[in-house]
Amino acid sequence: MIGLQHYLIVSAALFSLGMLGILTRRNAVNVLMGVELVLNSANLNLVAFSRFGSGNLQGQLFAVFVIVIAAAEVAVALAIVLTLYRLRRTSNLDEADILRG
Amino acid sequence: MGSVPDVLTSMKRFEPALILTGAILLVVLVDATGARWRDVAGRILTVGGLLLALVRSVELRGVSAEIFGGMAIVDPLGSFFQALLIAASLLIVLAFTFRNSRELHGLGQGEFYALLLAVTLSNVLLATANDLAMLYLALEMVSITSYVMVAYMKGDRMSNEASLKYILFGAVSTGAMLYGLSLLYGLTGTTSVPAIRNALAAGIADANPLAISTIALLVFSGFGFKTATVPFHFWCPDVYQGAPTPVTAFLSVAPKAAGFAIMTRFFYTGLAAPRTGPWDLAGTIDWVHVLMVISVLSMTVGNVAALTQTNMKRLLAYSSIAHAGYIMMGVVALSQNGARALMIYLLAYLVMNLGAFLVVTLIHLHDGTFDLRDYPGLYRRSPFLTLAMAVFLLSLMGIPPLVGFMGKLYVFAAIVERGRSYFWYAAVGAVNAAIAAYYYARVLKTMIIDNPAAEKPPFRLALADATWVWILLLGNVLPLLWWARIDGWARSSLSLYAGPPS
Repeated sequence: MIGLQHYLIVSAALFSLGMLGILTRRNAVNVLMGVELVLNSANLNLVAFSRFGSGNLQGQLFAVFVIVIAAAEVAVALAIVLTLYRLRRTSNLDEADILRG
Repeated sequence: MGSVPDVLTSMKRFEPALILTGAILLVVLVDATGARWRDVAGRILTVGGLLLALVRSVELRGVSAEIFGGMAIVDPLGSFFQALLIAASLLIVLAFTFRNSRELHGLGQGEFYALLLAVTLSNVLLATANDLAMLYLALEMVSITSYVMVAYMKGDRMSNEASLKYILFGAVSTGAMLYGLSLLYGLTGTTSVPAIRNALAAGIADANPLAISTIALLVFSGFGFKTATVPFHFWCPDVYQGAPTPVTAFLSVAPKAAGFAIMTRFFYTGLAAPRTGPWDLAGTIDWVHVLMVISVLSMTVGNVAALTQTNMKRLLAYSSIAHAGYIMMGVVALSQNGARALMIYLLAYLVMNLGAFLVVTLIHLHDGTFDLRDYPGLYRRSPFLTLAMAVFLLSLMGIPPLVGFMGKLYVFAAIVERGRSYFWYAAVGAVNAAIAAYYYARVLKTMIIDNPAAEKPPFRLALADATWVWILLLGNVLPLLWWARIDGWARSSLSLYAGPPS
């Protein structure tokens, strides 16, 4: 029987993988994939807690909003990455290094 | 909850946000007409909308209630922060124009006003959020709209890089915060902040104290990002340097104030036990000491890193990290006086920091430089601008009789009155204020004493620019004449609506 714990383990794994991706990837698009994993791990938590825990729908409602926010955030981020590519012909984050000090 | 009369009453109390929403739509429509007058009309609509929202939010300060079935709150604290946040946007639109900013010159204006109004709207929502979903939505809306504002100079590599760094740091810290919020929902079974407090106070049978501590730390990463406190400050100098200066000035004040507003609200409402005192519900972690360390680190890192900066925007960025550390002292004090100190400090920070950024913008307009090494000789070229800068920097230093001094006075008083064990903390703050005095004074010395390498033509200041420098200048001095009223306003705004009694 699949229970709350299984969902929590999967979501914790997703969160860790997402953070790992963000911290280790060089390509901006890969980093954004990591961000998606982090946000969706929280979604999984919210829906699982709503289903198995409290029994109210607040968590599922929250998750719907998070999906919208995730889409908006990635849309803006991809637009910025696209501008980066136009200006420097690369989407490698290590080459965005004018600002320092 | 959710009945028609409830929605109608809520709408009335939600008016500042509704006015701002209307203004955003109108500005976008006007910009889409493509007419020649669209820039002027957009500016007038923005100023009008902000003024109207400001008036409405001040009028609402006597109300204390939940609106929209507990999603948001109207209370004196919220009204204070709404007024502060809307006033910040108003000052930005009026004092920083597309004419006096060399970076924004020639770019489309409509989008800028729409984005500014959108950040203001989300700031206002963030300061009054009462539900985890609302809190997260407002926080993300502030972030996403400010990413776009930072990247406003589309063809500029610095602006683009700044925005990219901002997005990546923002996505990580708000992602971690969201994970914390989801766990908090799982633990308490509700997303309403007062209900979370009640659930935690009632005690959860198998709750591990470590779990609550982890949650609180994860949630704090979002607040830390918004207020730019160490260790969530890495984006701050790069973003401040790369963004167009009006945007930098705005980001240094408004989202920081909104971040402190929601931090106060979340910790005082959500994690404060009704009887035993604040923060007892935040697990085994000694929150006072965690925040104290964060505050001390912010001050020290900000001030020490600012010592060697030669780019004025970067210098002010590190100084803003240090100021976040001072403001945090008000949160650490955990008292009514602490919250009042936080509000007074943010008010003072608004006028002194915007003033400093305005002078930096005007110098950039004439000389095209943000580099401190190009500043010598400014005193002879424009005594007025140099003296204005002196007032703003002395205010940031905390020298009496300027408002910055009052901010520091309230913050340090709130800490010292907490007792002997807090003295070392106040002492660290004082040492930091001394370090800060050094680099602010260095800027003044460069402007007044140092000899320029080459003679440059004298300054010609537009009348509008001179007027706004004067207004901000007086804003640093005159409030002391009516200090009792300002103090009274902050004092009467201390009441926090903490949900229906359980």
